[in-house]
Amino acid sequence: MNLADNEILELNELCNALVDGTLTDAQKTRLTQWLAASEPARQYYIRAMGLSSSLCSYASEMQVEAPDAVPATRILRLSFGSWLGLLSAAACVVLALYIVSRHPGREPGAPNPQPGEYVARLTGSKDCRWAHPAPSARPDNYIRKGETLELAAGFAEVTFDCGAQVVLEGPASLSLNSAWDATLLRGTLKASVPTEAMGFRVSNPSVQVVDLGTVFTMIADGTGAADVLVLKGMVETSSHDSTGQRTVVLHENQSRHFAMSGMSKVNDSREKFAHVAQPVPLDHFSTVTKYVHWSFDEAGGDVLKADAFGAPQSAFDARLYELSDTVLETVRPEGRWGRGLRFNGHLYAKAPFSGLSANSPHTVAFWVKVPEDVHLSSAYAMVAWSANSQKLGSHPVHIGWNRNPTEGTIGVLRTDYGGGFAMGATPLRDGRWHHVAVVFVPDENEDATVEVKQYVDGRFEGEGKPSPPGTEVSEKFREQNASTIGDTIWLGCRIGNNGPRRDRFRGEMDELCIADHALAPQQIVALMKDNSPPAAEFATARK
Amino acid sequence: MEQDSHNETERRKQLVALMTQHQRRIFSYIYTLVPDRYDAEDLLQETSVIICEKFDDFRPGTDFVAWACQIAYWRIRYSRQKFARSKVIYQQELVDALAQTAATMHEELDHRHEALAHCLQKLPLRDRELVLTRYEPGSGVPEAARRSGRSLEAAYKALARIRKLLFDCVSHQLASESLT
Repeated sequence: MNLADNEILELNELCNALVDGTLTDAQKTRLTQWLAASEPARQYYIRAMGLSSSLCSYASEMQVEAPDAVPATRILRLSFGSWLGLLSAAACVVLALYIVSRHPGREPGAPNPQPGEYVARLTGSKDCRWAHPAPSARPDNYIRKGETLELAAGFAEVTFDCGAQVVLEGPASLSLNSAWDATLLRGTLKASVPTEAMGFRVSNPSVQVVDLGTVFTMIADGTGAADVLVLKGMVETSSHDSTGQRTVVLHENQSRHFAMSGMSKVNDSREKFAHVAQPVPLDHFSTVTKYVHWSFDEAGGDVLKADAFGAPQSAFDARLYELSDTVLETVRPEGRWGRGLRFNGHLYAKAPFSGLSANSPHTVAFWVKVPEDVHLSSAYAMVAWSANSQKLGSHPVHIGWNRNPTEGTIGVLRTDYGGGFAMGATPLRDGRWHHVAVVFVPDENEDATVEVKQYVDGRFEGEGKPSPPGTEVSEKFREQNASTIGDTIWLGCRIGNNGPRRDRFRGEMDELCIADHALAPQQIVALMKDNSPPAAEFATARK
Repeated sequence: MEQDSHNETERRKQLVALMTQHQRRIFSYIYTLVPDRYDAEDLLQETSVIICEKFDDFRPGTDFVAWACQIAYWRIRYSRQKFARSKVIYQQELVDALAQTAATMHEELDHRHEALAHCLQKLPLRDRELVLTRYEPGSGVPEAARRSGRSLEAAYKALARIRKLLFDCVSHQLASESLT
């Protein structure tokens, strides 16, 4: 039986939503049920998906033919290692080109590449021996989405960007699916999940464990079965076995064995609990981090003193602008810690900051309070600087709140950089203090983009990718801004080619801090909770 | 020894020729079962490696696309088991049903692909640029909206309209050809 007109319209809408990534859960349910039940629906769906597939093909061909297309030689080295041993050099070139036409989205510098972003770091180890392939020796040991860690022996600690920490005991195999999600294929894993990372998931073919704020262990036997033991707090387990899907909440000191045949008691659970409860003295990788900090605690005046959480750093002192005598006394309200700084829609500040415009990992953290009734016209940057690097192009970096409803929820944290943006999830426009941290991580590859990771109140939310730099306009900007507004941090205003524009931020700020490293989630939480130098605390905790 | 080397070279050439000719069809098959472009591209790459490894099993003269799609199917199945909830969003039963239907439509989809080239030419320039930008590697709706000066919402609506126009144009063209 053919589809009726109204069915075609509905199915077409579902296919559009699927292709554009806007399919809701309800739509997905409707689509899958329909496709499962109807051959004409499947045929229509296959034609619709075929259309999009063909459009991918035509669009790729047009881009490859374009005169300014990325040279193929730049792409070849990215994704074809595995092909090289299979074919002769001549054949490889052709096959690589074939993949290039399918995979140019993976090219570093391309906008919004979906896979491959950093999602975790290797943060500790003990007698660790890696099976092939060993994790890449990248600066700070970043691990990408989709990588599988094969640990032959010993212990390795992985810290996910959401803040969850996992200690693997070899032999073990762990796939990192995202900053919130991993799959244990075999071996033993112990996950410590702080409140900020609640919702972190570990799965296995027979069970998925969703953390509800806890410490838990999974032991996977490599055949699809796994034991789950809860050491602290509780987890939600969803088993996938031959009897269907079941959800069970496990509390502290409870355990279950999950297999395709069903759920059962864990053999030797007492011994297993005793084994995984033993602390593992890991060797941690640490780096010396430098901080510049503005407390905004001065009683008055137009200078904002910089320090390194104690010692003065006068080279970074900021100055207030467009500050009239009448508002002088109102711009130093009570802050989150001591006094803060109130941006009234006119005021802005700037400070010299050597090296800020170049390529380097760093973290910008501060407290912010945005009034509930503030207008969209006061949404402009809380913190800004002009980037001038191969990775960020010459676009300014602006950290503010989102005022564009077509791109995300109004009022959530938004970082614009390199032509792209990262969008948060927590509304900031509620008249309360929120802690904001934005982490910038340049890829080790010279041509690759910078990754931006946002944290609000210690919770990881929102990351994005920039568009490629290099337009004519941005090149002009690059030449111009190097000598005028580069290596300067701007507070409370949007910046343009020559300095601050008229667009301002309205709200309060406190305890601005810039670190010369990509801070770890625990360091960000420590900074938020204690307003103290996280590096020192982190180092102390790790001795 | 020299003859073996020559045969090996010929087989490689044959593999490259077949992959170059049919990669779009294999991608289209995967994309139908795994409707995320980037996941489908990953799976295409994984499938291609297996095709390389198993190419000695392929009998010349038989249907290369059908053979390659079988490999893709098992790769998707493996991916579903390995990654549980990632990549493959459909239940295995639905993947099987779609694969079965898709296997009967290779020829029609080839015709539709060719017809689409003509239909794209019939589109107004502004619409053609929008839809091709949307599908450019590494691009997406936000980028297409930005480049065309549309709001994101307007771009989504325009793309839905253009896809329907193209779909109907392709169907109409195939129907017309079958009458002549």
